Amino acid sequence: MHLQSIPLLFAQIATPDDLVREAARLQRNYEFLSYGLTVAWLILVIYVLFMVSRSRKLKREIASLKAMLEDRQKS
Amino acid sequence: MNEKSGWGDYVLYVLGVVVIVILARDINVIARLPNEVQQGAIFKIIFFHVPVAITAMFAAAVALIASVLFLITRSFRYDALAVAVTEVGLAFLAANLVTGSIWGRIIWGQWWAWDARLTSALVCWILYAAYLMLRRAVEEPTQRATFAAVWSIFSFIDVPIVIFSIKWWRTQHPQPVFWGGGSIPHEWFAIAGWNLLAMVLLGTVMTAVRVRQEDAQRELDSLRRTAHAM
Repeated sequence: MHLQSIPLLFAQIATPDDLVREAARLQRNYEFLSYGLTVAWLILVIYVLFMVSRSRKLKREIASLKAMLEDRQKS
Repeated sequence: MNEKSGWGDYVLYVLGVVVIVILARDINVIARLPNEVQQGAIFKIIFFHVPVAITAMFAAAVALIASVLFLITRSFRYDALAVAVTEVGLAFLAANLVTGSIWGRIIWGQWWAWDARLTSALVCWILYAAYLMLRRAVEEPTQRATFAAVWSIFSFIDVPIVIFSIKWWRTQHPQPVFWGGGSIPHEWFAIAGWNLLAMVLLGTVMTAVRVRQEDAQRELDSLRRTAHAM
């Protein structure tokens, strides 16, 4: 695996066209990296939100059923 | 809230904070790393792609153990663990498939390749999604847990195929970069290791929360039966 800094990469490029192409490639790389990380984190965050909503629903239903059972026992 | 649950909450919050601290540090370190010369910045996606994959495979292994233990003991605690860890593993595997697809679009020029690694990983996702669908289809709790445990054990057959597919067949997916003879710089191993720890801890916290939801669901079912009987 070879690592290279961006200035070093630009220094090896021969023509202005190469420079433009390389800049576009880097830009595209960063864009796709950000898409990838955003989508992946979004999946996990949506799942967490789904869990939070399910927890709230369960708590609400348990509380209402307990209240109903207490009422029935009293009456 | 009882004392046990209070301590459990405390441990989960602490683990959650630890995950956030590790991830914040890792994101900072990864952002400062130089680009890989052939692939450029997109290569950095590996620090997410690989840890979520390992976490998903780890979740599948835990689901297998929990399912076997349910069939042996018939304790619903293991069934709750199996469903919780399967659901969490499915979310991690989805993140792995999506990051891999986006990475492939840049490096291979295509979103997807029907090679052994990618196909077996997709089949793995479908098998565990089917596990969750199967649970919704069966009403009776013992029958549901038994069918689900058997399906989970069957689904695990695909996990070694996913892991070793790149060794067994020629695939478009590359050979392992970490822990597989790749020539990656030594310090990158540490970053990947920390990210893996963060993902496993995150998965653990999610699973613990999900197990509690299963407990709450059982309590709710029991209350419904009582209300119905009255």
